[in-house]
Amino acid sequence: MLILRTLASGPSHGHEIAKHIQRTTDELLHVEHGSLYPALHRLERKGWLSAKWETPRDRNREFKYYRLTAAGRKQLSREESKWNRMTKAIAQIMWPSEAEH
Amino acid sequence: MLGARWYGRLWRRASAGRDEEAARELQDHLDLEAEDLRQAGFSLKESEYGARRAFGNATLIQEEIHAVWTSIVLEQLVQDVHYAIRTLVKTPGFSVVALLSLALGIGANTAIFTFVNAAFLKPLPYPNAGRIVVLRQRPLRPLQGIATATLVHPRSFVRWQDRARSFEALALAQPVPMTTEGADGAEQVPGLWVSPELFRVFGVRPFLGQEFSSQSGLGRVEARDGRVSEVILSQAYWQRRFGGDPDIVGKMIPAGRASAVVVGVMPAGFRVGSFNVDVYTPMRIERSRPESVGSRSFLCIGRLGPGVTLKSAQAEMELIAAQVAKEDAIEKEFGVIVTSLRDYLVGENRSTLLILSAVVGVILLIVCGNLASLLLTRGIGRQSELAVRTALGASRWRIVQQLGVESLILSGLGGVIGLCFGWAGSRALASLSETAVNFGQLSDVGLDGRVLAFTLALVGLTTVLFGLFPAWQVSQVDLQASMKSQRRGATGGGRVSTRSLLVIAEVTLAVVLLVGASLLLRTFSNLSDVELGFRPENVLTMRTLVVGSADSRATLTGAILERVESLPGVRAVGTIQFLPLAGMTNQGPFHFIGRPMPADPTSMESDVSTVSSGYFAAIGMEVLRGRDFGTEDRMASPRVALVNEAFVHKYSHEEDPIGRVIIGDWSNPKPTAIVGVVNDVRQNGLAAEPRPTVFLAQSQVPGYLTNLVVRTAMDPVVMAATIRREVRQVDPRQPFTDIQPMSHYVSTQLARPRLYAAFVGAFAALALFLATIGLYGLLAYEVSQRTHEIGLRMALGARPGDVVASAMWQGGRLVLIGLTLGTLTAFALSSVVSDLLFGVHATDPLTYLAVAFVFGAAAILATFLPAHRAAVIDPLTALRYE
Repeated sequence: MLILRTLASGPSHGHEIAKHIQRTTDELLHVEHGSLYPALHRLERKGWLSAKWETPRDRNREFKYYRLTAAGRKQLSREESKWNRMTKAIAQIMWPSEAEH
Repeated sequence: MLGARWYGRLWRRASAGRDEEAARELQDHLDLEAEDLRQAGFSLKESEYGARRAFGNATLIQEEIHAVWTSIVLEQLVQDVHYAIRTLVKTPGFSVVALLSLALGIGANTAIFTFVNAAFLKPLPYPNAGRIVVLRQRPLRPLQGIATATLVHPRSFVRWQDRARSFEALALAQPVPMTTEGADGAEQVPGLWVSPELFRVFGVRPFLGQEFSSQSGLGRVEARDGRVSEVILSQAYWQRRFGGDPDIVGKMIPAGRASAVVVGVMPAGFRVGSFNVDVYTPMRIERSRPESVGSRSFLCIGRLGPGVTLKSAQAEMELIAAQVAKEDAIEKEFGVIVTSLRDYLVGENRSTLLILSAVVGVILLIVCGNLASLLLTRGIGRQSELAVRTALGASRWRIVQQLGVESLILSGLGGVIGLCFGWAGSRALASLSETAVNFGQLSDVGLDGRVLAFTLALVGLTTVLFGLFPAWQVSQVDLQASMKSQRRGATGGGRVSTRSLLVIAEVTLAVVLLVGASLLLRTFSNLSDVELGFRPENVLTMRTLVVGSADSRATLTGAILERVESLPGVRAVGTIQFLPLAGMTNQGPFHFIGRPMPADPTSMESDVSTVSSGYFAAIGMEVLRGRDFGTEDRMASPRVALVNEAFVHKYSHEEDPIGRVIIGDWSNPKPTAIVGVVNDVRQNGLAAEPRPTVFLAQSQVPGYLTNLVVRTAMDPVVMAATIRREVRQVDPRQPFTDIQPMSHYVSTQLARPRLYAAFVGAFAALALFLATIGLYGLLAYEVSQRTHEIGLRMALGARPGDVVASAMWQGGRLVLIGLTLGTLTAFALSSVVSDLLFGVHATDPLTYLAVAFVFGAAAILATFLPAHRAAVIDPLTALRYE
């Protein structure tokens, strides 16, 4: 979901995605960068991402750029609503009085 | 070698793309990360190291990505396929033999199955075809020479129609050729004279026009004289003759001596039983006088009512037949048999197809046996390889799977080639057997879903038979033992005896086939060598039906004979009702005038045949005594006859028959003087002994059906057009059909035995070949496994001769067991083929001896080579081999 969320703002390549996630989560979720790639490929296989070798404007070599497909967008919104429901449910359990208001 | 390299390159290219890409992507990441770190101020080395550390295990990740894109099972399968193809390409000799024998085995089975499919499985092209039945009469006291089931008499038929409740409809049909106008003059087309219920029985209506009108039916005389009023055409004839004219209904076409109106066209593919019909003509049966349409010569077809079983219909018909027998003297000797249309159509082809299926089935078994044995050899050779793999963690299941995939690929490829073979084979067989196998469905023989499914099933079955069994055996390796004895090779006693059993089974089956083949071959050769009694070379025959009064029939044939006789190149010409070998004759009781009548009138019976003067010369028979018919034998002059030797032998051996007068119970009987004796002829088929025959003169008792027989000075085919033109000059409306050389006609009589002999012979040869290969393979393997032992024995003083003898004895023993088993099996099965044989007994000792001899020769060949190889083993090398 994090990957999908990251790519919602535009196409980028693996290194950028890794950096972005690391930055936005305040380095809290520190994982090995490598583990990102199997996940990317899994998403690509499911058809939620598409990949293409492109040369960015500021460099002269190709990188593999991932972008969100229509199916990926749908999946993202599905997962977001699921996440919301889940957090709400957790919140209800954790702080029942507040939820009743 | 080239193949292997090419295949390897192809394989690498296909699987490499995505992995390379992933590697490049990961490298990119590492580069970028390192770049970032360098910008943060680390040294080149530190930043590269840092990037790697942050990344994790790159190789593992790459494999993980690889796994994302492939499923494990599939991957393994692909690996197995890859491995199997590599193995097969590496051993081209084995692969070619395996593929070819599999393709032959599967192909042969597919080819025969196309026939079985058409005969037994394909639905007949009628609505609710399962309810259509054929009714036949059955003589209660079967007479010698009369078939167990006969056609139906109309006197019984009308009573059945009145009383039977089991049927929705009952109909009669009889083939009657019809004369009409063809593209070039008069022609005779196959017609079927049918009672009006016929279309209801089959549940099929004309697709153009309608059925016969109720008053259109014909009586016997009208039908024979061609006074047809209405006709229904077959779709094929409508297309062929009238170009599919959509307005054909209502048009008049020439029919017989007049013309008839076309009232309908039947849909494509409609047929009645196995009759080949161009036109249908209507039959009218007078209820008060049913015999007016004819006698016991009709096919009776019925449609069972809904829910009525064949059994209950049979039971009802038996009761009715018993009633009819009491009321009607003519019908008192007859019961009824009700059979399904399918059984009726398949008829005697059932046994033909069963035998052919059995033969190809046996072939497939031998092929599987052979392959199993070859694979087993290879498997044993690969044992140490497999042991190593097991040691490295491959499960037994995995190894079986891998070997199984190998077999599956073999049998799959074999199946594809076999399907092509099968298709070609069934085409060839269909054209070859047109005269030999005929169940009216030959046009249906071809590939369809059912045949494909059958072939697929065969592929599966063969895989299990020849693949999985050895795979399982091989996978049961004892790890330690196998690795220890690596060099020496494992001569596991159990496995070798399995192979010996396979070879014995192969030899047994091959012996059975060889015995069958040689019996059938000798039958064919005996039939070919049968003394025909006439000379078929340079003889042309054609058939016609003459109609009208006796005088006009005699005049017409007389005129035709005169005309043809005067043609240059014609040696002799004559006519006969039924050609020799046709298996059709008239027969009846007779007695000598002046001798006492026999007590039982049927004890003196003779075939009777009507021929013209010149017939004996034309067909190449000899007048042994007395004289031939001549111009002096006219309608008004005293009746004369010639008889054959069989007649003389049976009825007149103690006195000269010439001058004796007989009178016979055949049509228009009158006292007839015997004027000559001719030699015997195979009139009733190649296998039937000549029967006593009386020949009457066409000029005195002219028949209807007439075969013109012309002996020419040159190739009769060249003369055909001239003769036909000459005949047409006599009467342009007189059609002649079935124009063919007599030699061709004789060879069609041999078609079925030829088919049997060729078919079984070819497969027996194949079986012999396969069994020999199997034997050779086994011995070659054993010798190679025992190199060490043989070397030791020779070092200890064994002579090469001893080694050869002992190796050959090993193979010879198996052959002997196989021969014995095969001979016993063939002996037990001898009753199956005895019906197909002629001039040779099914347990003919000479045949068995010959087969044993052939097998002995093959066995010597197969065992000598490996044995010889054993004998030239150099003891030193063999011992050092360790």
